[in-house]
Amino acid sequence: MNTEKKWFKLDLGAKSNTGATCGCGKSSGGCNSHSYQNLPSTMETEAKDGFDQVFDVKMDRRTAFRKLTASLMIGAGAVSSSCSLTTSDDSKEKAQIDWEEQFKGNYKLMSDEEKKATVDRLVRSYQLRKGKNIKMSSQNASEDVLFGYAFNISKCQGYMDCVNACVQENNQDRNSQMQYIRIHEIEEGKGFQFNEADDNYYHEVPAEGHFYMGTQCFHCDNPPCVEVCPVQATWREEDGLVVIDYDWCVGCRYCMAACPYDGRRFNWSTPEVPENEVNKNQHYLGNRMRKKGVMEKCTFCVQRSRSGRDPACVEACPTGARIFGNLLDPNSTIRWVLENKKVFRLKEDLGTEPKFWYFMD
Amino acid sequence: MKKATVYIVLTAVLSMLMTISCNQHHEAEYHSLKDKIEVESIDFNGVSITSEQYIGDITTVEVKEGVHSFLIPERKGQITSFPCVECHTEPLQDLQEEGKKKAHWDIQLIHADEEIMNCATCHNGSNMNSLQSLAKGAIDINHSYKLCAQCHSDQFKDWQGGAHGKNIGGWTEPRVVMTCVNCHNPHQPKIQSRWPSRFNTQKVKERE
Repeated sequence: MNTEKKWFKLDLGAKSNTGATCGCGKSSGGCNSHSYQNLPSTMETEAKDGFDQVFDVKMDRRTAFRKLTASLMIGAGAVSSSCSLTTSDDSKEKAQIDWEEQFKGNYKLMSDEEKKATVDRLVRSYQLRKGKNIKMSSQNASEDVLFGYAFNISKCQGYMDCVNACVQENNQDRNSQMQYIRIHEIEEGKGFQFNEADDNYYHEVPAEGHFYMGTQCFHCDNPPCVEVCPVQATWREEDGLVVIDYDWCVGCRYCMAACPYDGRRFNWSTPEVPENEVNKNQHYLGNRMRKKGVMEKCTFCVQRSRSGRDPACVEACPTGARIFGNLLDPNSTIRWVLENKKVFRLKEDLGTEPKFWYFMD
Repeated sequence: MKKATVYIVLTAVLSMLMTISCNQHHEAEYHSLKDKIEVESIDFNGVSITSEQYIGDITTVEVKEGVHSFLIPERKGQITSFPCVECHTEPLQDLQEEGKKKAHWDIQLIHADEEIMNCATCHNGSNMNSLQSLAKGAIDINHSYKLCAQCHSDQFKDWQGGAHGKNIGGWTEPRVVMTCVNCHNPHQPKIQSRWPSRFNTQKVKERE
């Protein structure tokens, strides 16, 4: 048994932990003796994680029972498939992964090795279940980066190419036609009357006497959604992105209620994306497949932006109305816009400090 | 003697307390996002990430205008029948004669009024390889933005800063931006209206 792990490890019948000389005589894994033995020691870290976070608190019998039930279901599944002689190596490995995933910690508190381990598990799990390979990253925020966004209301023509690009890039549920971005068609001369604006128009655009304004998650620097989350499943990263750990989210939707900008979306059903349309370039905090009952939202395409690329909406916009960049770089285009154009943000008086500015030519 | 010791101890304790409380209030260090950006970008030293790999296999030309320096896609290589003088060997009048094979017949100029602009506003009949400025100077086709900038000075300023136009690849260095003619057809620069690329039928159902 590996005693250096932060969370409880279920080792189904493994006697020796040296990968190549395992009892099953294979080196390909699947016998449960090969997996995840090389995690370095992280016991010294102060942060509680996984199993400890869940169980190392004072709780009454009823709460403990409730918490254990979910885990037992998984455990039972794991045991039944591992002890059975007829089950394949694959399903044993699946059960092992499910167990590890059930008891992993909050992503925010994970060390880089733990982040890598969970990402590897998710990639392997996808491979086992769908038979397809995905690429998933756990890239952290870079130093000296604070992402910001500017939207030119005089340029947007309401073509909605950004919405399409976003849905494809971020693997949003096709059944409920979820979209992070909303483009509001607003009548000129009436101000920002969002209640009178139309965000689902279908006619030739731009329509006479109207202008277009896009909203999405504004990645507030003082995000109210983060404040209200009871389980700290959403937080602001160092580079300013407000992200969600889909595996830690309990689906209470407090954040959805707290967001003054309608930036958050909830998965009422299991999100479905046709296999050939799944974007396989994924990030743990970004466009990896979500499950039923968790929140999701725009992440400024964390899988793209953290590797130097523009978010999908910026790239897709045919009018150049969308500008993205590093707020800490005095020579960046976003800084030029902030310093040279008359910019404003929505509901600035709330003190949420969105990192999403609007401007006009 | 005793007083001095007490003072030293007190100062030490106070300074410790202050450091602790400062650490605790790290999140609220700034009054506003503006302050945060201002302070944290003082010793900005560039980032380790590059956008180079997302630019694709386009060749670029360097642009230096004022304080701005960036790259734009090279143009001449994209023009099918460049250099123009391969065909334009004789004066334009002779090429326009009846019975000769027609070229550029599909170009229609919808750009400002007829009395303000015609072909000769930008092209020089006796030097087709280059464009021509209003002051009859030659402008390299790779730097055609200079021609546009003669009238569209506001757009030119915004383009240099990054408020007009689109960048290619990513948000970080190297900065490659589309030049005017990558989005606007110089002969019909207005972007045409069209239908949105999406209609959300689920939203309609939900709002019924």
